Amino acid sequence: MIVFVLQLVVAGLTVGSAYALVALGYHVILRATRAINFSQGEFVVLGGLVAYTIVHVLHASPWIGLIGATSAGFALGWIYERIVLRPAARNGDIAVIIATIGCVYILLYGHALIWGSLPQPLAPFTGAQGQAIHPGGVAIQEQSLWVFALLALAFVALWLLFDRTTFGKAIRAAAVNPVGAQLVGIDVNAARAASVGIAIALAAFGGTLIGPITLVGGTAGTAIAIKGFVGAVVGGLDSPLGCAVGGLAVGVIEKLLAGWLPYQAVDPVVYALLLLALIVRPQGLFGRKDAVRD
Amino acid sequence: MSAPLLEVRGLRAGYGELSVLRGVDLRVGAGEMVAVLGANGAGKTTLLRAISKVEAAPQAGSVVFDGVNLASLAPQRIVELGLSQIPEGRQLFGELSVDDNLRLGAYRRGRAEREESLRRAYALFPSLAARRANAAASLSGGEQQMLAIGRALMARPTLLMLDEPSTGLAPRVVEQIFGILAQLRSEGTGILLVEQNAFLALRYADRAYVMAEGGVALEGSARDLAADESVRRIYLGAALDEER
Ligand SMILES: Nc1ncnc2c1ncn2[C@@H]1O[C@H](COP(=O)(O)OP(=O)(O)OP(=O)(O)O)[C@@H](O)[C@H]1O
Ligand SMILES: [Mg+2]
Repeated sequence: MIVFVLQLVVAGLTVGSAYALVALGYHVILRATRAINFSQGEFVVLGGLVAYTIVHVLHASPWIGLIGATSAGFALGWIYERIVLRPAARNGDIAVIIATIGCVYILLYGHALIWGSLPQPLAPFTGAQGQAIHPGGVAIQEQSLWVFALLALAFVALWLLFDRTTFGKAIRAAAVNPVGAQLVGIDVNAARAASVGIAIALAAFGGTLIGPITLVGGTAGTAIAIKGFVGAVVGGLDSPLGCAVGGLAVGVIEKLLAGWLPYQAVDPVVYALLLLALIVRPQGLFGRKDAVRD
Repeated sequence: MSAPLLEVRGLRAGYGELSVLRGVDLRVGAGEMVAVLGANGAGKTTLLRAISKVEAAPQAGSVVFDGVNLASLAPQRIVELGLSQIPEGRQLFGELSVDDNLRLGAYRRGRAEREESLRRAYALFPSLAARRANAAASLSGGEQQMLAIGRALMARPTLLMLDEPSTGLAPRVVEQIFGILAQLRSEGTGILLVEQNAFLALRYADRAYVMAEGGVALEGSARDLAADESVRRIYLGAALDEER
C-alpha cells in the first residue's frame, strides 16, 4: 500500500514538474506584461518536438536536444512577444487573451502539419527507455531523477536571475514601473521580450524533460496549460515558489486520484479543487493578499 | 554666447493624435537653473515628458541636448547622454529595495561608476543609507522624493529635470532638496525645474519661463519675473502675501 502510494507520488512529481515549469512561465509573463499566456502548454509540446528533431532526426545527444529546445524556446518567445503580444496589447487586454488563445490553435495544428499528429517517443537523457532504480521497492525512472534535478536547477537559475543580477532587476523594474524604468534608461520593450523569451524557454525545457516519460507531440498541450495554470493559482501566481510547489502538487493530486478513481473522474476533481482553493485562499498558498486585485 | 546645454525649438508634442505643446522654445545652459511655471494643465509635465521621450512624444520642432539632436534617439540613449528626469509622482520601483532603486539609476553606467555614485548618494541622503534594504514603497513621502533624486543622480546627469520636487514635503525637506540643487548647479549641472510654488522657484532659479496653454507666455530672469506685475498677480500673490 505504502509502495503503491509512493509510486503514485513519484509519477505525480514527474508530470507535476512540467506543470511547475509552465506555472513559472505564467508567472514570468504575467509579471512582465500583465497578460496570461494561454499558449504556454503548446510551447511545452513544441519544445519536446524540437528536441525530438534534434535527437532523432539529426542524431545529436539528448543534452544537445535539451539545450537546443530551450534556446529555440527563448528565441521563439522573443519573437512571440514582438509579433503577437505587443501588437495585441495595443488593442487592450481582451485582444491579448484572444491572441494567445488563437496561438494555441496555430501551434497545435502547426505541430501536426510538421511532425504529424501522433505522439513520438523521445530518448531519455541517460540509460535505456524506462530504466529505473528501485529504492525500497518504488520504481523511479532515471529520467524522473533528471526531471527533479533540472527543475530545481531551473528554479535556482530563475531566482538568481531575478534576485541577484542587475539585468533581472531591470526586468522587474520594467514590469513594476515602465515609466520609471524608461527614465533610468532601461529598454522596456527589450525587457518584456526577454521575459517572454525566458517563459517560453521554461516551457520548452519542461517539454524536453518530460518528453521521454510522456511522449512528445499530439494534443497534450491544452491539459498541461490548464493544469499548470491550476498549479499557479493554487500556489500563488505572484510567487515563484508558489508556482513551483503548486504545479508539483497538482501533479501529485492528479496521480493519487488516478490511483483510485476512474480516469473520467480525475480531471473534474482536480478542477473542483481549484475552485475550492480559489474560494478559500484567492491569493494562493504563497501569494500576497494585495496582489489579487490587479 | 556658447551653445546652450539644452535647446528646445518650436516643440510640438502630446499624446497620440493630441497636441498639448504648440511650439515651445526654451534653453538651459550648463550650470544654470531654469524654472518653468504655469497653471495646472499648462503643459509643464508634458514638456519634460516630451524631452525625455517617455509617455509624451514630440510631433514637430527640435530638441538638441549637448549638441545632439534627440529626434532619432530612444529614451535609454537620452539617459545615456546625461539627461535625467525626476518625474511627477516619482515613479519608483516600489517592490524593489532602496539599494536596487539606486543601482538601477546607474543602469546605463559601468560597474565602477555605479559603486562610486552609490557611495555619493548615501553620503547625500544618510536617511536612505539606513533603509537601504527596505522596499521603496515602504518609505515616507520625503524619503521617496530623496530616493527619486538619488536615483536620477546615479546616472551622473549633466542636465537634471525635476517635476514639482517640493510637492507634499515639509519645508525643512524642501530646503534640503533645493540646497542640493544649488550644489549641483555650482558643479556645472544644468537644472530644469518645473514648480507650482513660483515663489520658491524664482528664489533659486537664474531664469524662468511661464507656460500657458501649451506655449511659453513669458520668459526672463528670475529677478525680473518675480518683479513682474502680471506674474505677481497670477502666480505669486498668495505666496507673497504669506511672506508679509
Ligand atoms: N497621458 C495623457 N494623455 C492625454 N492627455 C494628457 C495626458 N497627460 C496630460 N494630458 C493633458 O495635457 C495637458 C497638459 O497636462 P500637463 O500634465 O502637461 O500639465 P501641467 O502643466 O504639468 O499641469 P500640473 O500643474 O497640474 O501638473 C492637460 O490638458 C492634460 O489633460
Ligand atoms: Mg504637471
